[in-house]
Amino acid sequence: MNRLHQLFNTKEEPLLSIYYTAGYPDINSTLDIAEGLEKAGVDFIEIGFPYSDPLADGPVIQNSSLKALNNGMTLKLLFEQLKELRNRVSIPVLLMGYFNTVLQYGVPEFCKACAEAGVDGVIVPDLPMYEYEELYKDCFLDHDVSNVFLITPLTSEERIRKIDKLSNSFIYLLSSSSTTGKNLDVNTSSEAYYARLQKMELNNPTMIGFGIHDHNSFNKAAEFTRGAIVGSAFVKFLDTPDAINRIPEFVATIRK
Amino acid sequence: MKYPDNIRDLVLLNPDYIGFIFYDKSKRFVAEIDEQTIKDIPSCIKKTGVFVDENASVILDYIKKYHLQAVQLHGSETSDTCLKIAESGVEVIKAFGVDEAFDFNQLLPYLDSVNYFLFDTKTKAHGGSGLTFNWQVLEKYTFSKPYFLSGGLGLENLDKVLAINDDRLYAVDLNSCFESEPAKKDIEKLKLAINKLRPILKETESMSYNVNEKGYYGDFGGAYIPEMLYPNVEHLRKEYLKIIYEPKFQEEFNQLLKDYVGRPSPLFLAERLSAKYGAKIYLKREDLNHTGAHKINNTIGQILLAERLGKKRIIAETGAGQHGVATATVCALKGLECVVYMGEIDIERQAPNVARMKMMGATVVPAISGSKTLKDATNEAMRDWINNPEDTHYIIGSVVGPHPYPDMVARFQSIISEETKWQLKEKTGSEYPDYVLACVGGGSNAIGMFYNFLDDEHVKLIAVEAAGLGVDSGESAATTALGREGVLHGSRSILMQTEDGQVTEPYSISAGLDYPGIGPQHAHLFKTKRAQYVSITDQESLDAGLLLAQTEGIIPAIESAHALAYLEKMKFKGNETVVVCLSGRGDKDLATYMKYFNL
Repeated sequence: MNRLHQLFNTKEEPLLSIYYTAGYPDINSTLDIAEGLEKAGVDFIEIGFPYSDPLADGPVIQNSSLKALNNGMTLKLLFEQLKELRNRVSIPVLLMGYFNTVLQYGVPEFCKACAEAGVDGVIVPDLPMYEYEELYKDCFLDHDVSNVFLITPLTSEERIRKIDKLSNSFIYLLSSSSTTGKNLDVNTSSEAYYARLQKMELNNPTMIGFGIHDHNSFNKAAEFTRGAIVGSAFVKFLDTPDAINRIPEFVATIRK
Repeated sequence: MKYPDNIRDLVLLNPDYIGFIFYDKSKRFVAEIDEQTIKDIPSCIKKTGVFVDENASVILDYIKKYHLQAVQLHGSETSDTCLKIAESGVEVIKAFGVDEAFDFNQLLPYLDSVNYFLFDTKTKAHGGSGLTFNWQVLEKYTFSKPYFLSGGLGLENLDKVLAINDDRLYAVDLNSCFESEPAKKDIEKLKLAINKLRPILKETESMSYNVNEKGYYGDFGGAYIPEMLYPNVEHLRKEYLKIIYEPKFQEEFNQLLKDYVGRPSPLFLAERLSAKYGAKIYLKREDLNHTGAHKINNTIGQILLAERLGKKRIIAETGAGQHGVATATVCALKGLECVVYMGEIDIERQAPNVARMKMMGATVVPAISGSKTLKDATNEAMRDWINNPEDTHYIIGSVVGPHPYPDMVARFQSIISEETKWQLKEKTGSEYPDYVLACVGGGSNAIGMFYNFLDDEHVKLIAVEAAGLGVDSGESAATTALGREGVLHGSRSILMQTEDGQVTEPYSISAGLDYPGIGPQHAHLFKTKRAQYVSITDQESLDAGLLLAQTEGIIPAIESAHALAYLEKMKFKGNETVVVCLSGRGDKDLATYMKYFNL
């Protein structure tokens, strides 16, 4: 059982996960930020590995990816940095990025490197369910690395059931069909969607992401699911002076 | 087959052949079936005429009238008759009724005049009896020519077909046992049969150059998209074949291609160019289409599709601006809102096309992310689609993107080679050229130009990429030379990228070829070596553009000039027939030509 299962099985309060891009704002800031987030009480973190064509991302994460690439970040370098991960951080860690970089690294090699670094799961939005199931599932399972799928309000019930079956940590719920960084708008139709999901009694817990940026949106998300994931709002914050030392300040704007 | 609805349902099962009986004594005789219904069957399914002791000249007339690609001869046709028909370019399948006493030596004279044999149960009525014959007699068949198995094949005996371990068994002919009434196929039953036969069908599938049901061309293709795009792409995947083979759709599509686009586009024998190179060089004049390039074939198809999907808003990406103009054009024609994403750098270098789009009411949005060219415009369009999933259709302009886009765009562009075949036949007596050339960025004009020749292995296909300043200069867009397998814009293909998998910036003087990938079908044609991929530099293409202007009075787009430039590097034995796809006209490139040649 990896750290993610442990967390979802034991903690009762709403969970907060935070995303940031490896190699941004500085090439060597990856682990300092991870440590800062753990100290500020974040439950788990998602480290993005940058890609030149991040088509699910809005301007904020596009920009952090581009800067990280210009800083010289690569997947190889990231795994090099992550050798120190488990000496400094004990909360669950996921990697998030696009499939082409994983494919070039080699999917089996990637899963192995995750396991060796103590990475608990990955989110690869453009790796489709069919290819995952047919070609890559065993690699992930063999190394006890969870693959996390996304669902949106337009995902059919049949497909959600299938995703639930293939998932083994949590399911990443998008509040609406959008790229990252748009603010969460909870209206009656999204409430109906969350209620529909609750009724389905899925085997895996769910977390809401995309658009969580303050107390209100976090609390709203936690009403329906196990918690929420914050990305663009934090990446934007990292651009402010001395941000790494002020992480608790940021976390307090999301969860009291 | 004779009922239009039934034929369309059958097309969706994607068989290799569909047969029509032109024998008036048969209860399945097609009589006066609507010509268009047969013509509309996609050319990857071979339209087959079945005849019994018909006059060769009558058969040839039917071949012409219905665009038949194969004939099955069920009477006592001689090998001379078979040869005469084979010379017209169709496949000839000669049927024989087989029983225990059958003498396989009588096949000897046919070995050089037919493509396949068909072994059927021997009856007085030329097949269609619903009875099987004893397949053990096939052990006496010693020739290497592949054959069709026919006669009484039904769900109950297909297991035995699976057990026939014979490489020469090329196809199974399913007929009377799968009919709900004569000439009407029971589609559900056929689906069961296809599933049952799948283990032996697979082998031919891997030989296919077209897409399989999972959206793959060999190792390439698929739909590598985030979940936010899935519902849209899946909806499209489920509907596109159904919609585009509806008779009403075909009627409107063909009408617009004729009256609005100006098709068929001429196939022009470039005599002075031919004399220079020592070959018969034909130009497929896509440059004469409305809006000046092949791009409009696809946008007409997709706008009709978008209407039927109930979409109100159209988005598109564009590089040179040709696809953007073609999209703005059809949106104006249909009164739909149009938003075109275009790299900021391309907006500067293709100002006239930007003005054209605006004049037709489109909004042109600069893509300012990444490299600010075509790949980023595509990213921006995909992001728009993610954020507007319900009312918007994304018209991708090339044979790239997630399945079903590469296949859908290929089908709309296949009109190029479909016309070329009959035009060439009119002019030369044969529908097969020796060479077919086209330029490749994403590759839509090339796929359109290759499509109906893919299975004609004797036709050599040459795809010309842009080498920019030279393949090894660091300023190039020669994807197959510089790239390796990867995923971009939703499909697995060949891609120019760093070791870490970051997509690199291509360069070409031609904005339309300035793309770091190629469509997945091209990747498959490259890997299987069905097509040859070569490259041409900026300078060579400009020189070829000038040459065409001065020898034929045609100013080509710099994209198309890449294909023309490769003629210079080919060695002809004399009088080979060559078709070059002249994908677009050069008006948009005048500023570049002026600069290079001090005009």
